[in-house]
Amino acid sequence: MGEFKYSNVEREMKMYGFDRMVKSTCRGCHGGCGVYVYVKDGKVAKIQGDPDHPINHGTLCSKGLAAAEIAYHPDRLLYPVKRIGPKGSGKWERISWDEALDIIADRINDYKVKFGPESIVFGYGTGRENEAVIYRIANLLGSPNVLTAGHFCYGPRICTSIITCGTNPIIDYENSPQCIMMWGNNVTISNPDCYKGEPFSVALSRGAKLIVVDPRLTRPAARADIWLQLRPGTDAALALGMLNVIVNEKLYDKEFVENYTFGWEEFVKRVNEYPLEKVEEITWVPKEKIQDAARLFAKTKPAAIQWGVAIEQQINCADNDRLLMFLMGITGNIDAQGGQVLYKTPPIVNVGQFGAHSMLPREQMAKRLGGDMFRLASRFAIINPKAVWDAILYEKPYPVKMLFFISSNPLITRDNAKEVYKALEKVDFMAVADFFITPTAELADIVLPAATWLEMDYIGDFWKRHGYILARRKVVEIGECRSDHEMLNDLAHRIGQGEFWWDSFEGGLDAILEPMGIKWKDFKEMDYVRGEVKYKKYKEFGFSTPTRKFELYSTTLEKMGYDPLPQHREVPESPVNTPELYKEYPYILITGARQPGFFHTENRQVKWLRELHKDPVVQIHPDTAAKEGIKEGDWVVIESPRGKIKQKAVLFPGIDPRVVAAQHGWWFPEKKESNHGWDESNVNVLTDNAYEGCDPAIGATNIRALLCKIYPYRDGGIKS
Amino acid sequence: MKKYALKIEEKECWGCKACEVACKQENKSKDGINRIRIHEEWGKKKDGSQDFIFRANICRHCDNPPCVDACPVEAIKKREDGIVILYEDECTGCGTCIDTCPYNAIYFSDEEGKAKKCNMCFERIDNGLIPACADDICLAHCIYFGDARKIDNMIKEKFWLKARIEGKLSTAVITIDE
Repeated sequence: MGEFKYSNVEREMKMYGFDRMVKSTCRGCHGGCGVYVYVKDGKVAKIQGDPDHPINHGTLCSKGLAAAEIAYHPDRLLYPVKRIGPKGSGKWERISWDEALDIIADRINDYKVKFGPESIVFGYGTGRENEAVIYRIANLLGSPNVLTAGHFCYGPRICTSIITCGTNPIIDYENSPQCIMMWGNNVTISNPDCYKGEPFSVALSRGAKLIVVDPRLTRPAARADIWLQLRPGTDAALALGMLNVIVNEKLYDKEFVENYTFGWEEFVKRVNEYPLEKVEEITWVPKEKIQDAARLFAKTKPAAIQWGVAIEQQINCADNDRLLMFLMGITGNIDAQGGQVLYKTPPIVNVGQFGAHSMLPREQMAKRLGGDMFRLASRFAIINPKAVWDAILYEKPYPVKMLFFISSNPLITRDNAKEVYKALEKVDFMAVADFFITPTAELADIVLPAATWLEMDYIGDFWKRHGYILARRKVVEIGECRSDHEMLNDLAHRIGQGEFWWDSFEGGLDAILEPMGIKWKDFKEMDYVRGEVKYKKYKEFGFSTPTRKFELYSTTLEKMGYDPLPQHREVPESPVNTPELYKEYPYILITGARQPGFFHTENRQVKWLRELHKDPVVQIHPDTAAKEGIKEGDWVVIESPRGKIKQKAVLFPGIDPRVVAAQHGWWFPEKKESNHGWDESNVNVLTDNAYEGCDPAIGATNIRALLCKIYPYRDGGIKS
Repeated sequence: MKKYALKIEEKECWGCKACEVACKQENKSKDGINRIRIHEEWGKKKDGSQDFIFRANICRHCDNPPCVDACPVEAIKKREDGIVILYEDECTGCGTCIDTCPYNAIYFSDEEGKAKKCNMCFERIDNGLIPACADDICLAHCIYFGDARKIDNMIKEKFWLKARIEGKLSTAVITIDE
């Protein structure tokens, strides 16, 4: 037995007596990682990475490894329930699927007649591979309102990339970028849509230079050649400063700029409004460092930008995304081998087509909530959450009567949680589909048991832009849990949409694959299919934009009445914008740094994962902690003009003493009273959702940088 | 004689803690018992700026393990292949080994009344399988298992990188000399 190899299936089966192994695709986050799922006595017994998979190459994160702990968790909801006490009372009664779906269908039919289909809002949280079916049922119903995280997560990357260069440019890690600029992101911990940490890590092992832009010293920042520790929320100014260097030192790709960009002269004028002295003042980053980073990025070929959600949960959301694309573009790295590629998905019915957006009548589209305000968002079927809460609370511009949240916990994840609570408390009827009865679900009328990825067949990643589609194969059935796709397929029949759906959702999978000339049963035999890979397609076809060019000057935004060029807008609540408030709230609060094991509000009931982070943590510089009388491990109060919460202090030297960093997504499944302590440590009790603080085009809420005060927690017998 | 080793190249660790959970999945360890543990260690760079690294704490399978001598019931043994095994069935829970370990790599499970540590998944090794944490789950590929006399070379050569680039991770063979 002197020879070993990774993931040796044959020996695993023999040693543990597993009955079978099913290859599938994890969806512990947005999905994508190939896995081996071993089954014994009809139950999932072990999960490991698939070493031959193009996305994860055998590696697997804590969430994937713990998937069976979620699926078989004793608190898991295994059948539909109906609330029998007041909202939040935790009193539920078991009902059948038929009864649950009939109640929901009756409500939909009733509100549709009395208040119009726009009074029914469907919702999902982050991308969990159910977006296509949710949009489909809403559009066919005639409701223009699907509430997602799309206004401030990934949606902006999709919208802004479509109007700039046709599609979302994805890093070509397999061809080894020589310089990676990691901007507001830590791909080794988080799983930003379309990316996993492994290929990034391999690129570094192969010698890539690394620039990190982050207000916190992450491990990548510690390993970086250059770390730019910016003032939170000033990414646009920093990017404009770097572009200023690249333009004025003529480090750009002249051939690309001359032949394939639109609006160069106006762009140069705008960039020249941001000289480095000004940028240093705005961003706190020394100008020499900005120069060094800009030069390293522009002179190293190929180079790429590893980005994520942090730059999007800001007032400058759309411009941040565009500016980073401009950095990729003018340095010649767009659609370049080893740079950032506009990948082609295999020929399938894409997520937009399957979502039936073209079936939504124009007069209904015109009613999209917040559509007059956030016009870029509305064009891409995205709405701002406050618009929904306002429609429930004040019935303006019309009443919203029903919410149906599928894999979403907005009471914890959406800004200004107290307002969210009021809206969820008031709404006439709410249904939720989830794995557990979350704080949001506690306010619902009906809760449906959702299947995990172990319990469904699906075409994984067909909504992403990396060019692969992946087979997710059903491994087990647990309780009465149903996949979101099967659930909505059934509901659709009950609200008169039967002709557009299928007997079972396998028909939907066949429909997605139809252009490839295969069916689900064929795809199930494959592990993945990749679209054709070609570089610099723009040389032949131009870019898929109105001008056929890479738009530095956006003709789409101009038509919508926005500034066609990117700009830095000051953070709504900041030492610069609100100096009076800053006297009372003397720290900048940043939120939402990702924790391994958790995915937003998920997994806090899973022992293996909760063990990694028992309590919510706020990182404070040791000098700041000393000044405020806070010691390591103290519970501290974090207070903003909206409210207060408590988290546990960790003294963290890798942060500016003027900044503190709080975690997001916290609730306490173990607390059976007070709705699982939804407001005790939930950072969104502190965040603001006022429209004027949102990105004017996409409606992104500014939750990543605000003002706070912080002091030791002294009540309730907890150590002060 | 074959000698096994498991080594972690800490400077490449990203702190994702997948290894901790892979270990849980394999050993079904109770709450609070982590036979491998990742933690931050802070220091300064040469220029005086802040720096930190992730450290992995795990049994080193010492050449002369003090825990073996300390155990009054001989429940800890070092095998000829180098693996130091704590046989939990024989453990009486006296805790003596915990104090003698220079690496704080032995833990006490109150729930079970027994000491726990990394046994290098010896049953997996005896069945021709790689220890759970080293079985390619690590996204940094920084957990190495192999021949004790050659493992430093494996790390230096990043043998996995060649297999990864060639798309042959599932067939990359780690040889342990007999």
